[in-house]
Amino acid sequence: MKCTSDSADSCRYGCDAIALTKLAPTTKPEPDPKPSTKPPLVEAKNLALRIPIFKSSDRSIGISPTRLLGELYFGGTKRAVATLLEDVSFTVQSGERLGIVGANGAGKSTLLRVLAGIYSPTGGQLTVRGSAKGLFDVSLGMLNDATGLENIYMRGLQMGLDLDEIKALVPGIVEFTELGDAIEKPFNTYSSGMRLRLAVSISTMIEPDILLLDEWLGAGDARFSKKVQERMNGLVEKSRGLIIATHNEKLMKSLCTHGLVLSKGMCVFHGPLDQALAYYGETCAGS
Amino acid sequence: MNLNSTLDLNRWHRWLYVAWFNFVVTYRKTTLGPFWLLAGPALFIVILGSIFTRVNDVPGDIFLPYMAVGVILWTLIGACVTKSTLVFHRNRAQILQGSMTLIEISVVDIISVFLQFLHQSLILVVVFAIYGLNFSWYLLVTLLGIVLIVVNGFWLSLVFGILGARYRDLNQFVAAVMRVAFLATPILWMATSGRGQQLGIYLIANPFYHFLEIVRAPLLGMPISMTSWIVALSITAAGLILANEMYKRFGRLVPLWV
Repeated sequence: MKCTSDSADSCRYGCDAIALTKLAPTTKPEPDPKPSTKPPLVEAKNLALRIPIFKSSDRSIGISPTRLLGELYFGGTKRAVATLLEDVSFTVQSGERLGIVGANGAGKSTLLRVLAGIYSPTGGQLTVRGSAKGLFDVSLGMLNDATGLENIYMRGLQMGLDLDEIKALVPGIVEFTELGDAIEKPFNTYSSGMRLRLAVSISTMIEPDILLLDEWLGAGDARFSKKVQERMNGLVEKSRGLIIATHNEKLMKSLCTHGLVLSKGMCVFHGPLDQALAYYGETCAGS
Repeated sequence: MNLNSTLDLNRWHRWLYVAWFNFVVTYRKTTLGPFWLLAGPALFIVILGSIFTRVNDVPGDIFLPYMAVGVILWTLIGACVTKSTLVFHRNRAQILQGSMTLIEISVVDIISVFLQFLHQSLILVVVFAIYGLNFSWYLLVTLLGIVLIVVNGFWLSLVFGILGARYRDLNQFVAAVMRVAFLATPILWMATSGRGQQLGIYLIANPFYHFLEIVRAPLLGMPISMTSWIVALSITAAGLILANEMYKRFGRLVPLWV
């Protein structure tokens, strides 16, 4: 197994100071027609992720109830290996935007987490050049008894920002949440819409080189949802590369240049988006 | 990946803020706040201290400081051990969002346990103000002992954290063991007086005793046996090596387990 990264630990922390430096927005999502001489942003070769799991042994209902109870109590298990990803190879050049398609459970989210450095691959090679940061489970990890403002600081620190950096970002975040004075109230007094607004505002405050998205973020009422849309578009524009997993074909067509089709953890197609979507429509979706 | 590569010391002040924050927010909802950290042990020491000084037939001015140090230190050791088993479950969000590494999570957890200990050691200040403390350079060994406990808390947090991420049973097991260990370690009774003296061999096998002695003996003006130093230092070294190995081998599986 090999997991290399150009800037030290960027694959782990995902949100180094590099992410804060303003990057020239990529105006055109079109891929460079000339073969690029620069090394690709993301290079995955035969990526595999297999994990040992404990499977409950086959239980037959026919056996005596006492034995069944005993088995349930002691949870009779046996070892097995689950293959989450197998033989996934692709590259993402600077400026390219890759859409991952596949049925539920095909391994889309798992692949994104591998790219973010959360899961380490057990086979193959992965090179990520720059900070890759995903927006996963954005509403997790809030402190219930802390105020909204304190949660901004807390999450900022955890994401690797300094107090000064957070302080500079706070007015923007607070304004974006539209929570007003409620930002000083404990998080557990918030409505679910307010919680989501705060979570989205916090997690979009960092601008990564390579943006990893598990479904497009959408939040709250129509107006706020539009604001989030704009913010997300901004993040996409500023990033050097985007990898998104979504079931929304229309969105994918408007964003992506390339497509990767996953089926049962295997990469079955990688190429231009139209072809990938066509391939997916023909083979996987129908079956 | 090894311990060094992910332990970025430039970020230590961030961990301190995060730990401090966790510490403060825990007591936010209570009227008296962190005062409860003092009330519990204080009650324990006053009531059980006056009972056990009679049970052990040791004068109060010797037994109360002895027991107070033991109880407060046990809170630190116990918190290190029991909190470690679920440390990665508690920080599931940070792991799955990829915002903190396992090492950072362990360090933050140990710092918040240590902050709690610092707070509780106010009780010891009161106790020694009443019963007197002999100031000498020997007292510095106490600080060294506390550092040793914290370092051990760190490797325990990684080792038990990784094991506990896979086997949740560990939390129950450790909780059961720690309840026994509290009474089996000389805190409410003394190893140097009464029947406690007959436990010689058994005490050597109790790792908690040695760590406790290195912190407690200097405060009470007692000598520390060579055995205690050897056991404590060996455990620390072996633990750090074990933590490094476990982290290298199983650390990458923790995000899949939690």
